Amino acid sequence: MSALLWKPEDLLAPPIVKVYQRRFLIAGVVASVIVIIGGFFQPRVFFRGYLISFMDWLGVALGSMVILMLRHLTKGGWGMIIRRIQGAAMRTIPLMTVFFIPLIFGARYLYIWTQPDKVSDPHLRKHLEEVSSYLSLKGFVLRALVYFAIWNLLSYLLTKWSKEQDTPPVRDNSQRFKVLSGPGIILYGFTISFAAIDWVMSLDPSWFSTIYPLIILIGEVLSAFCFAIVVERVLFNYRPMSELLKPEYVHDHGKFMLTFIMVWAYFSFSQWLIIWAGDLPEEISFYLRRINGGWGWVAIALVLFHFAMPFILLLSRPFKRDITRLVWLAVWMLFMRYVDLFWLAEANFSETFTVTWADIAVPIAMGCLWLAYFCRNLSSMPLVPAYDSFASEVLEPAHEHSV
Amino acid sequence: MKHTPVYGLMAEFDNPEAVVHAARKTYEAGYKKIDAYSPFPIEALSEAIGFHYNFVPLVVLIGGILGGLSGFALQYWIHVINYPVVVGGRPLNSWPAFIVVTFEMTILFAGISAVFGMLALNGLPMPYHPVFNVPRFALASKDRFFLIVFSSDPRYNALETRRFLESFSPRSISEVPS
Amino acid sequence: MDEQPTPAPVIEPGYTFGTVTDKISSIVLTRPTSNGWFLGFGVAFLVTMGLLYAIGYLFLKGVGIWGVNIPVGWGFAIVNFVWWIGIGHAGTLISAILLLLRQSWRNSINRFAEAMTLFAVACAGMFPVLHLGRPWLAYWLFPYPNTMNVWPPLVLSVHTVVSFDFAIGQVPGWHTTIFPPYFVAGAIYSGFAMVLMLAIPIRKFYGLEDFITERHLNNSAKVMLATGLIVAYGYGIEAFMGWYGGNRYDAFLLWNRLHGPYSFFYYMLLLCNIGIPQVLWIKRLRTSPFWLFLISGVVLVGMWLERFIIVVVSLQRDFLTSSWGMYYPTRWDWMTFIGTIGFFLACMFLFLRVLPMISIFEMRTLLPEAEVKE
Repeated sequence: MSALLWKPEDLLAPPIVKVYQRRFLIAGVVASVIVIIGGFFQPRVFFRGYLISFMDWLGVALGSMVILMLRHLTKGGWGMIIRRIQGAAMRTIPLMTVFFIPLIFGARYLYIWTQPDKVSDPHLRKHLEEVSSYLSLKGFVLRALVYFAIWNLLSYLLTKWSKEQDTPPVRDNSQRFKVLSGPGIILYGFTISFAAIDWVMSLDPSWFSTIYPLIILIGEVLSAFCFAIVVERVLFNYRPMSELLKPEYVHDHGKFMLTFIMVWAYFSFSQWLIIWAGDLPEEISFYLRRINGGWGWVAIALVLFHFAMPFILLLSRPFKRDITRLVWLAVWMLFMRYVDLFWLAEANFSETFTVTWADIAVPIAMGCLWLAYFCRNLSSMPLVPAYDSFASEVLEPAHEHSV
Repeated sequence: MKHTPVYGLMAEFDNPEAVVHAARKTYEAGYKKIDAYSPFPIEALSEAIGFHYNFVPLVVLIGGILGGLSGFALQYWIHVINYPVVVGGRPLNSWPAFIVVTFEMTILFAGISAVFGMLALNGLPMPYHPVFNVPRFALASKDRFFLIVFSSDPRYNALETRRFLESFSPRSISEVPS
Repeated sequence: MDEQPTPAPVIEPGYTFGTVTDKISSIVLTRPTSNGWFLGFGVAFLVTMGLLYAIGYLFLKGVGIWGVNIPVGWGFAIVNFVWWIGIGHAGTLISAILLLLRQSWRNSINRFAEAMTLFAVACAGMFPVLHLGRPWLAYWLFPYPNTMNVWPPLVLSVHTVVSFDFAIGQVPGWHTTIFPPYFVAGAIYSGFAMVLMLAIPIRKFYGLEDFITERHLNNSAKVMLATGLIVAYGYGIEAFMGWYGGNRYDAFLLWNRLHGPYSFFYYMLLLCNIGIPQVLWIKRLRTSPFWLFLISGVVLVGMWLERFIIVVVSLQRDFLTSSWGMYYPTRWDWMTFIGTIGFFLACMFLFLRVLPMISIFEMRTLLPEAEVKE
């Protein structure tokens, strides 16, 4: 029985996580103070960086939640081993909810639809009037309330049932998880789509693309997977992860990473090809902005380093099986995820390629606070639920299966 | 018997664990020219007989690159050199549209290379193979597992090898005439 | 490699390597051909003859015998083409994606779905040729040789390419960026519906309930439910953007679907693809062969209607009011369509008779004794 193999207290995250928590907290507070001071002087610049940073870290939290639910539906050791890492990342959703509040106040610096009277283009002004029932500050806030309510609820339930599996008796909550996860994934797909429209796509209210929400969605899942790989690598230096993490799981994680990178490329390319081929004025403007004025170099960098390079590296089997090498790609991909969001959002604000102080400082400040909270979550629960009836698959010593 | 050349000694097992165990011990005992046959793939078995790497991925990679290049070259040649037609004001070298076919050709060539590379590296088609001289070997495609030590192995010795294989208590041991 | 402690069996207990082999191979090697098989194959073969007749007449007279004209220049042929290609996708999903997710239940329906894919693609492949108007130049369309192992990634991308065929144009209803993933999801949806429609009678007639278990039905139904919801997402986001985007032609297309001359089919499509399949949330229906068979049929009809709506309704009323028109399929359209179903079934009957329909070695790996513990 799994309970005999490992005691729950041996499965706790190593004490070093607490140290990291403290360091991140200090760094986060210091950086936040600086960033907020900057924000008072240049609110417009501040909120631009803030939005991109918010989307990036939210992606890790929500992506973790959706992978967790996917695991509940499909099982497999690959998911059990990172389950609590993703759980801890998911439980930062309350923090992200708090981080959203400033965006309500910053909306007027970001979204042109908040001030339709200031729009000079008559077509756009007319269009904004037609969709004013959707694109209004009230709608923006109300919808955000719904999204965050759903996300917090899902996170709460998934955590609650998971926690039950840390204490005896051995229980099988998989049925409950399944019942929640099916609708949960649907709810996530629905909410994140509209969130993507509200928060990023509506930066340019004259432009729309039906696949755009999916590009944001898959980016979140990819970020979350890469983040889990990075954390599992750090924990691999200590017990218990050093004994639990087997090359097969790492191999699976590498395969998933490859899959999500390919799906991201597939969605992004589809959007580009269809819009390029159609060449309609209202659509192509999106790409014209993003391939001119220096932004084209970012686009090329995305093709090469968000797709081509990781794709080629991940084709190698030994690379995928070796956590000490895979982790560097995961770190790189987390950076590229930020670049992608930066390219999507920042190009709305500036026709020429610009990196502001906020684009660098805000993600660091928010990230440190986020990571501190994550570390707190990570050390609050054992890394594997010892009393889950399926935990034995990762807690048993290494054995081999037939194919 | 003495006059027919021997291909190897073959032991028959009736479960996968036994054959993996025997294969591992045989390999550890210093026999390197060995092979195993089973009615379904067993990952542990290929590791046990010391088979780690193959060149199929390399063949697939080369095939894929060739496919991609030829796919793009084909379109470029048609649209820019051989039969240039302006479609909807787009440039002759409309590379975004070419990517689709380039991708398809990459996959196609990679797939074909995988199939033919696998066949070639396996030495297939192979009209004659000595193991089939043992009548019981037909069971390898049903429910029996076979381990063979080739007579070309430097440590091979008809008597000692047989005694060694017997230590795993297989169902039967046959001498395979070549 | 199967990592999970299996909750419900993917293969009933009591089998050995030998009995699995015998049970599957006996259908082909030892059992006599049943009268039911002759009857089924006979009917399918007759329908195939009807297809040949329709094609013969088409080659004699030209595409004028079909209902296609201006403005609806793409009619049944393209609808059927996309529908069949979509059905072929189940093989892809089972081969590739379920393998990635380590779903061992795929093993017993794998071979079967791959065969189905091949026949469905053969049916699909006919239509572009028939649609050419110059069938004697058909070989221009075939740059590919084909081998079995090539198609999984190829087919997955094929449906994307099919969707590009539509989406890179500017016709409202075709030009939308969600098309590639939405086509693939719809394809898998209809593919799984077809797998179930075939697997349910076959497991009954050939007594294969031990290999194609309740768990397979349940899981296939779940895949159907999931892909159906992705399709619904596609409809939803398309409708939303039709309003939000402010493009008046997109908005009109939405209006035309809901209130135009083909609106009945649009509502039927919503009912068949989104409404009725929601009963699959009920576990009892997911494991009932009878209901599952019926629902799969409904999904296949719904997916056919979806392609009809995309192809016909988009063309029927586009930018210029003066060039609006209607599309009415002729008896030759119907004969060709039904004929391909006959051809597909005839191929399936032959497959069942001459090849082991379940991959024997993959079934062996599912037995508990196949596991190597050290």
